[in-house]
Amino acid sequence: MVRSRRIVQIIFLCGFILLFLSARFPYENALDADFLIRFSPLVPLFILPEDISLFLSFLPAVIILILTPLLGRFFCGWICPLGTTLDVSGKMLKSPSNKLSEKWSKLRYLKFAILAGCIILALFAFNLWGFLDPLSIFNRALTVVIYPLFTLFSEVSLLALTEISWLEKPAYFLYDFFKDFIMPEEQIFLQQVFWISIFFLLIIFLEKLSRRFWCRNLCPAGALLGFLSQWRLYERIVGNECPICNKCQTECKMNAIPKADVAMTDKVECIECFNCGSQCPPKTKAITYRWCWRPYHSGVDYDRRKFIHTSAASIFALGLISIGLKDRKKQQNLIRPPGALPEQEFLNRCIRCQACVRICASNGRCLQPDAIHSSALELWAPVALMREGYCEYNCILCGQVCPTEAILPLDLKTKQKTPIGLAYFDKNLCIPFAEHRDCIVCEEHCPTPDKAIKFELLEKVLPDGSKKLVKYPYVIRNLCIGCGICEMKCPLPDAPGVFVTTENQKRYTSLLT
Amino acid sequence: MKRRTFLKGTLAASFIPTVITRNLHAQDQVPHAVWVENAEPEQLLNESLKVFGGMSAFISPGEVVVVKPNIGWDRAPQFAATTNPDLIKAIVRSCYEAGAKKVLVFDHTCNNPRRCYKNSKIAELAESVDAEVIQVRKNRYENLTIADGKLIDQWPIYQDYLEADKIINVPIAKHHSLCRVTLGMKNLMGVMGGNRGSLHSDFDIKLIDIVSKIMPDLTIIDGYRILTSNGPVGGNVDDVVLKRTLIVSPCLVSADYLALDLFNLDVKEVGYLKEALARGISKYDVKRLQVQRINLA
Repeated sequence: MVRSRRIVQIIFLCGFILLFLSARFPYENALDADFLIRFSPLVPLFILPEDISLFLSFLPAVIILILTPLLGRFFCGWICPLGTTLDVSGKMLKSPSNKLSEKWSKLRYLKFAILAGCIILALFAFNLWGFLDPLSIFNRALTVVIYPLFTLFSEVSLLALTEISWLEKPAYFLYDFFKDFIMPEEQIFLQQVFWISIFFLLIIFLEKLSRRFWCRNLCPAGALLGFLSQWRLYERIVGNECPICNKCQTECKMNAIPKADVAMTDKVECIECFNCGSQCPPKTKAITYRWCWRPYHSGVDYDRRKFIHTSAASIFALGLISIGLKDRKKQQNLIRPPGALPEQEFLNRCIRCQACVRICASNGRCLQPDAIHSSALELWAPVALMREGYCEYNCILCGQVCPTEAILPLDLKTKQKTPIGLAYFDKNLCIPFAEHRDCIVCEEHCPTPDKAIKFELLEKVLPDGSKKLVKYPYVIRNLCIGCGICEMKCPLPDAPGVFVTTENQKRYTSLLT
Repeated sequence: MKRRTFLKGTLAASFIPTVITRNLHAQDQVPHAVWVENAEPEQLLNESLKVFGGMSAFISPGEVVVVKPNIGWDRAPQFAATTNPDLIKAIVRSCYEAGAKKVLVFDHTCNNPRRCYKNSKIAELAESVDAEVIQVRKNRYENLTIADGKLIDQWPIYQDYLEADKIINVPIAKHHSLCRVTLGMKNLMGVMGGNRGSLHSDFDIKLIDIVSKIMPDLTIIDGYRILTSNGPVGGNVDDVVLKRTLIVSPCLVSADYLALDLFNLDVKEVGYLKEALARGISKYDVKRLQVQRINLA
């Protein structure tokens, strides 16, 4: 059983990574790149009341939720790629056994508090759960930390190898292979790398305190699945031959075997890794597993009193979020991907998995995980930064990979007519206005069939009295779709002479409108 | 020396210039440029090359050839923003028939390179005849010193371009907002690195500064479909005119000069061409250009 569990874990982990890598142009996948994100059991809980068709796209997660009362938290033990990562890093960091980490087990209730808090905040349309969804965390870490680091190192090292004459050919071969299938055209640079890596590393290094610290004490998905598996029908049976060596107890990943009675199983915590069976000394083999129901069950470590605390804390947090200043001037830069729902709904629906950021990296390279400007809710939602990238006119991939349809999957024709912002010229910087020299790189790159940036040819009298014809660009409001290629390609060294704001952006509430 | 020998010698010698001039005259039979029209890309190419004596007039066996199309934009061929892919395929094929060792096809694109290579269909068709279609690698630019440049003293140029034995420049004739039309000379911006946007002020001078140092061996201007406005990106088929024309010349400047006829333009309207002619980088005198015009209709 342990071996098959490991194999399944590796399959899901590799599948997750392969689907992640497949999210790039031309993206002709048989399987959606976000398919495995749809295994997240939290999403149906929070999206159920909203949208039936979307709910159905989370069928894998729904199936997991249906099976959990029968089977228990098998998702945590067998499927979750974050869990697998923690298993591996726990081994590498030499997590202490349950003997040493017993003191942390009183924090178990925290995950229920977090889940309850997430639900309360969701009732008030604030999305906290997306930040803490384990699959979202994993995909976010892949996108923002692991993958860019990997491509950076492989690019640098392969290019260094090409300098060695006899290695030039194989190194370039590998380099081209990497570029074709794995790496983006250019190294991807993202903002928020610091905070997202801190967040991810924190989860990893909590393994120093106990094994699967995140899963035991903090994960809201684990709390939901644990809650559902209280009455599960699959049992660990400990025979009378058990010498009570306590080995299974100390080595349990989840500390799910009570010290007082090793024959019991804490069903809320058990993730069915089957390590206990393999820990049992080979001569005795007292542990067997069977379909049956036993009256013993452990309840969740969460009482009414704690719930009241959680509620109070959640409402307090709601208040704090609500009293923050929403500066309109800062809002002008919050350009969302084409097809994004109206801002409030969008922030509520987005689980910050960064799937759109990932696929944008190999296309326009404009999407970035957002920072906090005026509200904590903006954190890590995708924002289009046009100076370093732009929205490719013929690309609709971000909408196609969004698992929760916070970005609607627009068709190409609609997308090309959906303004995500509007370009403005800064005449103090723009070369023709500031220096009376020709430039109009922006006009050249403007992708709309009838150019949204046009220019007028005006005669200008220069300081020395001579006359010169200069092309002065300007924007046609109802043609501009705010794609930002003008801002990106502006040849000025730092601040651009043309920039895009959210003005004129068009949001859809559903695909039909 | 006997008088007879002297007379014989003089007589013989007097023939030499006649022979030489006749040879020179024979060379003059090959025109400076060919204008072919009214056929499909492949036929246009073959007919025009025939005039020069086939591709082998330009390419010797064993040479490495760079074919430089315009793949600048993420557009399908019918929008005439990128060079005709069938033409590129025919050129690559004839290079190999002339004995080329390797044919490289690449461009420094403005939109996402992978999208441009795929949607222009150039990668697919060029690879079908064994061309090496390469993505530009940012570490493979070499700084080219431009000693006599008016505004530019050096500029990064793609290494494979500099190292190639022969260069075939295959622009598409397009409207261009900044410089009126983009043809052969402007197409060579695709082998330049650096901040290309910064070339756009005093564009004519800067472009000719660099282009004069990287002249191709053969220029084939794709006038099969031309883009007449909203260039160089286009995107509207109504701006595209089917001309079914090809202009071939060993001289870059003459080819560009000739291509003005596609748009009924005068040299005065195209700054960089004016600059090129003023600097005398044209192989031929464009006023006395010998053009062979072929109509395949």
